[in-house]
Amino acid sequence: MYVELHARSAFSFLEGASLPEDLIAVAANHGMPAVALLDRDGVYGAPRFHVAAQKCGIRAHIGAEISVIDLGPQAALPSWIPNKIPARPVRLPLLVKNRMGYQNLCRLITKYKLREKEKGTGSATPEEIAEHAEGLVCLTGGEEGILAAALAHEGYEKAQTNLKKLIQWFGLGNVYVEMQRHFDPMEEQRNQAAVRLAESLNLPLLATNGVRYAQSGHREIQDVFTCIRNYCQLETAGRLLERNEERHLRSPKEMRQLFADVPEAITNTIELSSRLEFTLEDLGYEFPRYPIPVGETMDSFLRKRAEEGFSERYASKGDQLYEKAARQVQRELHLIEKLKLAGYFLIVWDMVRFCKEQGILVQGRGSAANSAVCYSLGITAVDPVGMELLFERFLSEERGEWPDIDLDLPSGDQREKAIQYVYQRYGELGAAMTANVITYRGRSAAREVGKVLGFDAETLDRLSSLVGNFEFRGAEDNWQTYFEHAGFDLRHFLIRKYLELCNRIQDLPRHLGQHSGGMVVCQGQLDSVVPLEPATMPGRVVVQWDKDDCAEMGIVKVDLLGLGMMAVLEECLQLIPRHYGHSVDLAQIPADDTTVYQTLRNADTVGMFQVESRAQMASLPRNGPTKFYDLVVQVAIIRPGPIIGKMMHPYMRRRQGQEEVRYAHPSLEPILKRTLGVPLFQEQLLRMAMVAANFTGGEAEDLRRAMGFKRSEARMRDIEIKLRNGMQRNGIDPLVQEEIITQITSFARYGFPESHAASFALIAYASAYLKCHYLAAFTAALLNNQPMGFYSPATIVKDAQRHGLRVRPIDIVRSDWLCTIENGTNKEGKEVPCLRVGLRYVRGLREKAAQGILRARSQKTFDGITDLAQRVPELQKAELVNLSEVGALNSLGKSVHRRTALWQVERASRPAGPLLDAIPEESETSPLEKMTNEERLVADFHASGMTTGPHPMAYCRKNLKALKIERACDLERLADGAYTRVAGCVIARQRPGTAKGFVFLSLEDETGIANIIIHPDLYARYRLIINREKFLRVDGILQNQGTISIKAARVMPVSITAAETESHDYH
Amino acid sequence: MAFACIFVPDFPVQAVVRLEPDLRGKPVVIYQGAPPLTRVFGTNSAARDMGVESGMTKLQAEACGAIEWRWRSALQEATAQAALLDCAWTISPRIEQGPKRAEESLLDTVVLDIEGCEKLFGSYLKIANDLKRVAAEVGFETQVAIAGNPEAAICAARGFAEITVIPEGKEAQVLGKLSLSLLALPTELLETLHRWGVHTCGEFAALPEIAVIERLGQEGKQWHQLARGSEVRQLIPQDFPSQFEEGMDLDFPVDLLESLLFVVNRLLEQLCLRLRMHVLATSELKITLTLQPGDSRGKNTEALLHIRTLRLPVPAKEAKFLLKLLQLDLQAHPPGAPVTKLHIVAVPTRSRTRQLGLFLPLSPEPEALEITLARIENTVGEGRVGAPALMDSHRPGAFQQERFVLREASGEFTKAAEHSVHPVLRIFRPPLPAKVELKEKKPAAVVCEGAKKAVLAHAGPFRAKGGWWSESPWARDEWDVLIPSLRPKYESSFANTSNKKEETALYRIYLDLRSNSWFVEGIYD
Repeated sequence: MYVELHARSAFSFLEGASLPEDLIAVAANHGMPAVALLDRDGVYGAPRFHVAAQKCGIRAHIGAEISVIDLGPQAALPSWIPNKIPARPVRLPLLVKNRMGYQNLCRLITKYKLREKEKGTGSATPEEIAEHAEGLVCLTGGEEGILAAALAHEGYEKAQTNLKKLIQWFGLGNVYVEMQRHFDPMEEQRNQAAVRLAESLNLPLLATNGVRYAQSGHREIQDVFTCIRNYCQLETAGRLLERNEERHLRSPKEMRQLFADVPEAITNTIELSSRLEFTLEDLGYEFPRYPIPVGETMDSFLRKRAEEGFSERYASKGDQLYEKAARQVQRELHLIEKLKLAGYFLIVWDMVRFCKEQGILVQGRGSAANSAVCYSLGITAVDPVGMELLFERFLSEERGEWPDIDLDLPSGDQREKAIQYVYQRYGELGAAMTANVITYRGRSAAREVGKVLGFDAETLDRLSSLVGNFEFRGAEDNWQTYFEHAGFDLRHFLIRKYLELCNRIQDLPRHLGQHSGGMVVCQGQLDSVVPLEPATMPGRVVVQWDKDDCAEMGIVKVDLLGLGMMAVLEECLQLIPRHYGHSVDLAQIPADDTTVYQTLRNADTVGMFQVESRAQMASLPRNGPTKFYDLVVQVAIIRPGPIIGKMMHPYMRRRQGQEEVRYAHPSLEPILKRTLGVPLFQEQLLRMAMVAANFTGGEAEDLRRAMGFKRSEARMRDIEIKLRNGMQRNGIDPLVQEEIITQITSFARYGFPESHAASFALIAYASAYLKCHYLAAFTAALLNNQPMGFYSPATIVKDAQRHGLRVRPIDIVRSDWLCTIENGTNKEGKEVPCLRVGLRYVRGLREKAAQGILRARSQKTFDGITDLAQRVPELQKAELVNLSEVGALNSLGKSVHRRTALWQVERASRPAGPLLDAIPEESETSPLEKMTNEERLVADFHASGMTTGPHPMAYCRKNLKALKIERACDLERLADGAYTRVAGCVIARQRPGTAKGFVFLSLEDETGIANIIIHPDLYARYRLIINREKFLRVDGILQNQGTISIKAARVMPVSITAAETESHDYH
Repeated sequence: MAFACIFVPDFPVQAVVRLEPDLRGKPVVIYQGAPPLTRVFGTNSAARDMGVESGMTKLQAEACGAIEWRWRSALQEATAQAALLDCAWTISPRIEQGPKRAEESLLDTVVLDIEGCEKLFGSYLKIANDLKRVAAEVGFETQVAIAGNPEAAICAARGFAEITVIPEGKEAQVLGKLSLSLLALPTELLETLHRWGVHTCGEFAALPEIAVIERLGQEGKQWHQLARGSEVRQLIPQDFPSQFEEGMDLDFPVDLLESLLFVVNRLLEQLCLRLRMHVLATSELKITLTLQPGDSRGKNTEALLHIRTLRLPVPAKEAKFLLKLLQLDLQAHPPGAPVTKLHIVAVPTRSRTRQLGLFLPLSPEPEALEITLARIENTVGEGRVGAPALMDSHRPGAFQQERFVLREASGEFTKAAEHSVHPVLRIFRPPLPAKVELKEKKPAAVVCEGAKKAVLAHAGPFRAKGGWWSESPWARDEWDVLIPSLRPKYESSFANTSNKKEETALYRIYLDLRSNSWFVEGIYD
């Protein structure tokens, strides 16, 4: 028997080529009882390794290879052998013996990682190793180890001295002299020395294979990674590459044969494995305790806070609801007490309280909205009792895991404030962000493998532009097609290899990033639970595990997510009192505003949260929302779950009265009544399992997890059997059973939680309300928080203009950095708010320069362009040029047009020196012609990405009319089935994964947006035109059945303008 | 003042077509880059009409229809450039090749100072016609223009088809119609002008000069003058110290090497004399031989050039030495046809100065060594002389050939001594095919050169596998084996001594894992 005790995974980031799961699978195949993972400078892959090992019944030993300075560089080749191997500090392979050892390892790694200046360069000092040696077993390593280094650089004596040092640090029984055999003569020389050294110091020998990949074929991936790491190509990498493919996980039989001359090296692996008691189950994580006043317990304190909030929230509601809610709160508090989760709720409550105190808009999302306690504590804004939401989706006794609370915050500085609060509150080593493991995806794989194979940058650009554009993965969306479209000859050996490698490195880890908002906190020292390292963003610390791994290891996390729309709402609420004369409280806005629902029914939703996409617009008129719950359904229905589960169309048909409402079984009626008998939410599926098959809340939640992304066939089969048995017991007909099971299994994977939909629907409603009633403020806030949402600023501006908002262009005399609201009058002479586009929309204008303009302007108005350039020295020439180009300087003088400004800016930005600067120009006017309409359009889009003037299509309407091309606003007057022509600027291209290859285009003209549906065959024929052209003409059949769209029969480019319009494509 | 300019449109294509007249009129595409990274580098108008664009891959270009294609040849382009210069030299001695522009050199353009030439060759129109005709004789379709200054001539040649002669003082009027892009302005300036709504030379020229200077500086002034056709500048024929040239048109074609060398010697003596006057030597010698057209019936009239370049490891200034090197080179690479014209370019460099150490061993004179190497190369073939150098690769025996250079003696011995502690493997080239009998997957006996030798001791296997990304991967297992010697040293004298202990030796054998064949690779000293 043999245990591999020195294996790296791909979580050594480019220094290993197989996933931890693959290593475990191969080890299981070889019948190994245990295997150890020693990733480079971290335990990045440990959770996945541990979970995979648990499933296979193998023991997962944990450890890491630690880089150490002051022990000399790694062994190098003799100087006469040409090589490019860089000098790196030696690595010390350490194995964890017990929990103390694990804590020491985590602290040790954290210590030197937090010190590192560049990612992946940190190393421990010998003193730190000595300090953290308890509970760890040290191996001498292979070619990167301390023994090889000493033998190569300073000889046998030095090697002996180093070994003595290790004995001194780790103790005599905890140092093993490692032997590896990869059929390399130099390695064999080292082995001979190692045997002598072990004998001389009475140390045990240990055979390992220094594993870098699970199977020998993975060596190719390792070679590719080596090249990526060293910025070189396979052809020129030389001795950096593997000498052969022997660093795979060898079978015990092979290892025994290989070490037949030193059998004790093999038997020692078993002996050592048996000494390594630690596994990740023994992590020792503890959630922080919330500081409470004397005389209180955390439970009593939480109960008080919940009761306070409860009376505030439910006092105004009816008695029946009040009582029901009171019962629910008591039930939840009881469970929270039982599960000892009060601290967790208090900590989240504390974060929310901080945000509210600071005026930061905050709202809990996700399953937390199912909890009446969360609602009472002000964490969430949806009443779960009133909406009859399922608490078990949030928390259940059986699951034995932490609940998941996600908080939505305004993106940007406000969210940063909240994050910094958590850091301050729990200390540098008590809180950290979760990591985000960046893996190789289509584009990155194509680019990096291409580089390694020696392809030039231009070729790689072309290929990467073709890869990964589409959400939909049709028959043609594969590597082969991408390569063919990029003009590659697939018959060529190198191209075939390229293709193969791109496929093989998919999903392998590339580097560690920072999760956008996931934070973990810990009672005491988080660095003894998982190593921490600095994030790229200064002042941030991340743990070495991603959020799934943290959840798997039972570490509680709170997601502080930045939501652009929250920032919009917040800004909007600040703008309204200043310009409309009254303030708005989001909690008090009328819930049944007819204008809002009418607008939603008309699918007039550009800029609104969650309901602005092309697919949402198409379904809104059919759903016809008239109350808040309709909006909840609307948010949830355009999701892969309902679409793949084939629930969307039945719901819509029932909604429109085209189909009878029926239930698979009468017992399901109370659950599915609100959604007309069609299951749309995860909670409904859970309840269906509970009612039809007598599942408990926890079992139902287990069902959801089993169906989740990491679904296992075996686990699903077990649950299906359980479902059938339950339904059988309830006497449900086998045919009905089948229907229910199909509904559950096909849907649970993607189903959207009702609570989450309700939270989002609240924000969607608020955004719709503000857009309908405070268009100027909403548009200004929306433009000030770009990029976000579905449409470009140009489209948002045009949409606002069509709704009657006067949008004024950027003006150096009036614009602020952000978009602002000015007073203006409408056609009837009534005073209305107008939008002034801010200086932030001038391409390339730095905020610092814009602030300079504002400062100088506040002191004295500008006399002219020369004055501007002299008084705002921060302004660079390119910025002045862009300001001129967009017309922002036109107000700096009489009859100044854009070309005059451009003419003067060139002179002003080229100082002639003190002697000549004072001499005024002979002529005030410029010899340049005024811009034509077309030139103005091009300049507007080039320098600000939008135009406040007429839509480009408006300039050629006369010609378009002659071609019988309809305007978007006229389509509703045409009959269903009519052959129609439309033309417009492409503002969105979509190919949703659920649409079977259909492509949806949105064409914008001066009157609105026309929706185009393109059949996959037509798309294949016109792929280039559809994807590249900015303006298109589409001929086809008009579909006017509630929603209006055109089924394209012909697509052709039209020449409207050379302006650089933008389209939101394939997101 | 009068200047002419000859411009060759689609130069990369024309550089090929002029040597292959059959291609004329057909869509021709020039590729560059090793497969599979081949790209379209140049096209002619017929190819562009079919939709071929520069930068396309070979597959994409071929998808456009039936096209003729050739690889890009730097040599052909260089000869084409030389030929273009030759055309210009037929009219004027003052020519400027490929004047520099903001972001590129116009290699397809040559400018001539033709002031006074009309007295020799006739009117400007006739000179332009002559230039076009001569260029056509060497296979170029050209655009020729004559103007009062070089830049106006260049703009007109690049902007107008066929022949343009601009009357004196009418430059601005004629050039006004041309697009600004023809001026090859710096990108930033071109963008500024486009922002101003200025798109033609005429529009640019119409702007007031002082205002332009205030905005675009002196550089802008130059471009402004250029657009007005009034940019006056001196031609820059050649940068004198950058290289030394000598050339001679022969009265009659020379086909004997000895006769040719007689002329070469005279040119070299002149070159060396001039080099010595500047206390310089040469590090590179380039000889260009213009050859007589091959077809005696006059059908194939394109001139061919024969160019040889000698890069010298040490600076030289002795005509005799240079002549010897050229002689050896031309013997190895004789011109394919009688020579009608010679052109030698010497790149100057500082003379070699070296103080020999009193106690250092004498090494060969670099000049003598160079001649010896050239002689060896002459015998064994080009590119087959040099020193082997180890490569950075795991591939067994991988080496590359480097130029043989005499190293400085100091310090070498200690390094060599350092290595001498390792056993030395004498490699059999090629390796000896063998058969190996295995016992428990280890070599038990080696059969080689008809003899079977039992393996007395072994070490291994040592495995190397690589090149998996290429079409020539390698994979082998090496063993070091102790066997009775394959080639005993004293075979004859002790042949009949039956009780003599058999001599043994340590060999390296290997199994090529791809062909599954065994070889004896070498013997350890």
